[in-house]
Amino acid sequence: MGVPLKPARNWWLWAGAGGFLLAMTLWSAQGIGFSFSELFCNLGSGSRLLQESWPPDFAFLPRLYQPFLETIYIAIIGTVVGGILAIPIAVLAARNLSPGKLIWFADRNFMNILRTLPDLFWAMLFAAAVGFGPVAGALALSVFTIAVVSKLWSESLEAVNMGLPEAVRSAGGSWLQMVQFGALPQALPHYVSYVLYAFELNVRASMVLGLVGAGGIGMILETQRANFEYERVTMIILAVLVAVLIIEQISESIRKRLT
Amino acid sequence: MSQKAQGSIRFSSANIVYPNGAVGMRDLDLEIKPGEFVVVVGSSGAGKSTLLRAVNGLNRLSSGKVEIDGVQVPQRDGRELRRLRKRVGMIFQDFRLVRRLSVMSNVLIGRLAHVPGWRAMLNLWPAHDRAIAIKALERVGIPDKAWVRASDLSGGQQQRVGIARALAQEPAIILADEPVASLDPVTTHQIMKDLVRINRELGITTLVNLHFLDLARQYGQRIIGLRFGELVYDGSAATVTDDDFREIYGRDFTEDDVLDEDEVA
Amino acid sequence: MPKHRVGWATWLTFIIAALFIFSLWAIEFSPSRMIQVPGQVLQQLSFFYPADMAYGWETVLPAIVESIQIAWIGTIIAAILSLPLALLGARTLFPRISRFVKLISATARAFPEILLAIYFVPIVGLGAFAGALAIGISSVGMLTKLGAEVVESIDFGPVEAVEASGGSRLLALRYAVFPQVLPELAAHWLFRFELNIRASAVLGVVGAGGVGGVLLNTLRYGHFDKAAAVLVLTIIVVLAIDMISGEIRHRIIRG
Repeated sequence: MGVPLKPARNWWLWAGAGGFLLAMTLWSAQGIGFSFSELFCNLGSGSRLLQESWPPDFAFLPRLYQPFLETIYIAIIGTVVGGILAIPIAVLAARNLSPGKLIWFADRNFMNILRTLPDLFWAMLFAAAVGFGPVAGALALSVFTIAVVSKLWSESLEAVNMGLPEAVRSAGGSWLQMVQFGALPQALPHYVSYVLYAFELNVRASMVLGLVGAGGIGMILETQRANFEYERVTMIILAVLVAVLIIEQISESIRKRLT
Repeated sequence: MSQKAQGSIRFSSANIVYPNGAVGMRDLDLEIKPGEFVVVVGSSGAGKSTLLRAVNGLNRLSSGKVEIDGVQVPQRDGRELRRLRKRVGMIFQDFRLVRRLSVMSNVLIGRLAHVPGWRAMLNLWPAHDRAIAIKALERVGIPDKAWVRASDLSGGQQQRVGIARALAQEPAIILADEPVASLDPVTTHQIMKDLVRINRELGITTLVNLHFLDLARQYGQRIIGLRFGELVYDGSAATVTDDDFREIYGRDFTEDDVLDEDEVA
Repeated sequence: MPKHRVGWATWLTFIIAALFIFSLWAIEFSPSRMIQVPGQVLQQLSFFYPADMAYGWETVLPAIVESIQIAWIGTIIAAILSLPLALLGARTLFPRISRFVKLISATARAFPEILLAIYFVPIVGLGAFAGALAIGISSVGMLTKLGAEVVESIDFGPVEAVEASGGSRLLALRYAVFPQVLPELAAHWLFRFELNIRASAVLGVVGAGGVGGVLLNTLRYGHFDKAAAVLVLTIIVVLAIDMISGEIRHRIIRG
């Protein structure tokens, strides 16, 4: 009894994967003009920028109050509208509840396509469609919320215990009654938790929507950035960060209590 | 390749008190001679593991000292402790293999302290060390599994890898901490026989913690009994009586204390 | 019908409804405006067809490729930086430093990449390089947190086994920790790459390269057929990358 020869590793696979990683990295680095020298040469100008952006302009703070509230309004509207619209989309995308294969397939793809576009893309599109301002932002966040909540919640719906829904069905209930009384109550805590999570994402997203003209605090950020008023940019960003962190803490503590 | 009269262990008035106040070892004086096969028994919490783990410095003494071949075991991490541990192999109840790695890689872990650091980091093993690892696998009878993933082996086979890893260190001492507690009865006897055989063939001082009395009697040469961290029995396995066991356990023993139930009676 | 007590759920619904209506009023989203909106959207939608695919191949595709490159380099930077940080952040390995590392990574996570890009653009100039740095830095936070959790979840037996055989801390990391955590870390890196593709797509808005700038320009000048090409190509490319990356992730975790 001896030690068998070391089995040949799948060298082609490993070499292929390694080669791909390296090639992709070199190609990308070259494509985006990555250079250490540029990074270090520009650190000088960078430190000048950092000096200009510090200390933050606290006198600017009062002017942030109104736009900040607008940001929160946008996030609330987007969360509520998107959260409600996500319900039917999630139900139809749950394999165990969907009334037909075709509807399930179409809805699922619709959901995946919604997910591919980032929040700011929706903001740009709605700003073009309904004009600059908070309404465009609220619409953009509604779509973004649908994308987030429907995907996550359809997965919890697929995990519900099918005993009760089938009982409703066999007692002569319609499809709608089966979903409403059999399935949704079981997955309700998940729903609330995902909507709160979407609200956190929305607050964060609504801070930057204004960069493309969709309302909120980001619109001020965009004007100050374009004018290179970096003390004010820093002030805005600090305020945004503090607000985001506070809202996240509150929302997270509620979510933890729910699940 | 028997080791020349190496692997003696000596505890001198050694105490271990855990941070929570529990006493793990109380005034222990103990001498173990090179090449002995010692079984440590006691009910759970009696300090069996504490004793073994004090030998290679995994547990620190609160007072007193422990020496290996006259050299005191350092009581803090560092190069000296690592140099000492190099000569002490350890076998664990839960095997402690890296499950994603091959058997060979797991056995080579026993050679880590024997090769230059850069070679170990780059996984570049000298032929000499590979040969030692293969030899160790042959000694536990599973050379054919060398390139199998550790997680694909049965429990008994995994423990053999654990033994091979300890052997790959070419140790003077082997510490086996409840080596058969997670194995079925048949495999248990095989592993115990392996340990005894290795002890006879290579003359490696071996300390084995066991819970089962019949195993201790069957495989031990010398039996050490612990109770509440204190040495309460030290004698030959051939002459140990049921009364001695009652004394060690502080109670009548039950079928939980023996492996083969028909031996109770 | 028996009258029952008003539960907390009813109150919550009531409060949310009130907040919602107040918000609508505050941003002047009046009922008359609501009636207009669907019409406006549908009307705009008609301008999007047919998509100008000639523009798509010529201008949009290179910009999407640039977005992918930004996301890739950003992810590589983040993976390299987060690897040692994840080890330092693991409570089980480094109990003293872990708290500090986790605090830093939580702060970094709170920074949306686009805000970081606002700082990097003036430092290294307009373009994709600034975008890659922004993506990289902002991903470090999340990868460090997830990585530390992976490290904390490993089986610590082998670590002790290595140390009991006389191996150093470093060798224990190399042989007992890395083999256990590397596959899961790689899966997290890939997942982050998927997120970063979306993030890098919008960085063009602040001049940090990629397809976002193209979309902003086409919409600003009313070239909706060209904007349509941006949307179609972005959706296809992102879907394809999600599918491939998701498949690889599943294989890594299973394998």
